[in-house]
Amino acid sequence: MRRSGAEIALSIGVVVLGVAVAGVTATLPSEGGYARIGPNVIPAGVAAGIIVLGLWLVYEAFTGGWRKRTEQTEVFEPGAFLWVSGALFAHMALIGWAGFVIAGTVLFVFIARGFGSRRWARNAALGLVLSLGIFYFFVKLLNVNLPAGWLAPVLGGAGI
Amino acid sequence: MEALSALLSGFGVALQPINLMWGFIGVTLGTFVGVLPGVGPALTVAMLLPLTVRLDPTGALIMFAGIYYGAMFGGSTTTILLNTPGESASIATALEGNRMAKAGRAGPALATSAIGSFVAGTIATILLTLLAPIVVDLALKFGPAEYFALMVFAFITVSSVLGSSTVRGLTSLFLGLFLGLVGIDSQTGQARFTFGVPELLDGVDVVVLAVGLFAVGEALYVAAYQSRVSETIEKVRGSIMMSASDWKRSWPAWLRATAIGFPFGTIPAGGSEIPTFLSYATEKKLTRHPEEFGKGAIEGVAGPEAANNAAATGVLVPLLTLGIPTSATAAILLGAFQNYGLQPGPLLFQSQANLVWGLIASLYVGNLILLVLNLPLIGIWVKVLEIPKDLLYAGILVFATLGAYSLHQSWVDLAMLYVFGLLGFAMRRWDIPVGPAVIGLILGPLAETQFRRALAISQGDPSVFITHPISATFLAITAALLVVPFIVRHRSRRRRG
Repeated sequence: MRRSGAEIALSIGVVVLGVAVAGVTATLPSEGGYARIGPNVIPAGVAAGIIVLGLWLVYEAFTGGWRKRTEQTEVFEPGAFLWVSGALFAHMALIGWAGFVIAGTVLFVFIARGFGSRRWARNAALGLVLSLGIFYFFVKLLNVNLPAGWLAPVLGGAGI
Repeated sequence: MEALSALLSGFGVALQPINLMWGFIGVTLGTFVGVLPGVGPALTVAMLLPLTVRLDPTGALIMFAGIYYGAMFGGSTTTILLNTPGESASIATALEGNRMAKAGRAGPALATSAIGSFVAGTIATILLTLLAPIVVDLALKFGPAEYFALMVFAFITVSSVLGSSTVRGLTSLFLGLFLGLVGIDSQTGQARFTFGVPELLDGVDVVVLAVGLFAVGEALYVAAYQSRVSETIEKVRGSIMMSASDWKRSWPAWLRATAIGFPFGTIPAGGSEIPTFLSYATEKKLTRHPEEFGKGAIEGVAGPEAANNAAATGVLVPLLTLGIPTSATAAILLGAFQNYGLQPGPLLFQSQANLVWGLIASLYVGNLILLVLNLPLIGIWVKVLEIPKDLLYAGILVFATLGAYSLHQSWVDLAMLYVFGLLGFAMRRWDIPVGPAVIGLILGPLAETQFRRALAISQGDPSVFITHPISATFLAITAALLVVPFIVRHRSRRRRG
């Protein structure tokens, strides 16, 4: 009988999520005025649904595994996963501080590295051109504010 | 002929030069992004949403109609030339389309796909024009109880019909319903599940969820599992013109596929997946050239492609007339409406007749633009396909993060984007469909409002859902959909055991 640790963990995760939703729901007020249908009624239903579905998944996971799942045979590459994740974290940290263009360039270079490209200089140049293009397009043409950050003196007062 | 005069004034809106331009830009951008491998129509629409923030609603929605159609066509181009169906609706096309391309007949395959999409799209838009006023009249009689029952019906069909497992479909739906609860409760002003984070007061934005699931999740998945897989792009050699026999074999397939695709699009069955396969099976059965199936039969491309477009138009019937999205892409389109404070549904046909009929008229125009633009530009689309994976995903993510960041200029939205990316990665890996989550996020809050309104009217008496005949019918069908397959499976197991 097939039994997958990941399936069991995910199924339990769903149950835990349901319990957490139920816990928060318990703190919501129940008075809803006229019909007495407060803001906690639907959340309670959703929490119950998630818990039931989670338990069902747990049952399936322990009795032969989730039904009709296509088996994946590809090999997981942790390095690639970490580069892509790191790219998004670096971007998150940089955007408000160093600005959209620098954050976008770093994001571009890191993601490309995650997909196996080591041509750092070329990727940095491409990322810079793309981010600059998007920056000017959004800030000048669409009037959407994007942070200029460290490049504010160079970017000519555009952005915030 | 009320519909006809409404449509004519709609054309007056759609044919204004500025709106025509938005249509052109939408089709071109939609095709460009839709061609990118791994980018399906839902992601295309979600990624291009930020571009319209400063447009007036009519222009923005006309542009979106163009993006929607362009994304569909772009996806088929990728499928035919690359054999990596970006979404389930393209799998049927891949069966024959890629074989045709391998046999040096990429041109006619792309042509039958483009012309078939135009024929099916135009017929389906005519059907939409005729059907919409009828559904609107019917929907005006719906009260909150009927709406709620209809939404429950839509929830269950989109999560149990699609995908391989009802439990996993429903899990995805409930995840979406939960995310839909986050934010300020529209009825009482109570903040729910916001944990004191100001960015969460507006609720979870559909763009952040869709882009997280589809773009970030896909990037994580492809990088971690498939970055070494290389693909071969088939060349477009020779003429793209279809021969006389190609035409003769394509015509009936287009028409049959429209008849299959449109009705399936209008019911909440998740859009294009089922009709494309049904059309493929039909053509395989009726063909006079059964020996060619599996080796590149043109009917096998013409049918599914036309069915796909007819269904994509059919999806707009419940979206526009009832405000109910039945596919992930439609849910994102509904989010675009909501950004302008517009709620699609029967009332919108009355309060914003110009906008709605302008949008419907622009569907006719969009189909035509697609036909005129795409075949001549096929060389450009092939170039787009040649962008290597590393640069492709890097570029997609620069754009994807922009959409999330521009909501509140806050890194919190980017953090949410990454969390949804992890979720998308896990869902892809463990075969949990993502569509129901996106639909749940958008439709959940609407269903809750109708539920509470219905109970307010009935003074808290829950029997209102089963004493109203329309509501009771929807709920009965829903219950049957959930219970019957379960009993059938149980019985057949007992008989075997």
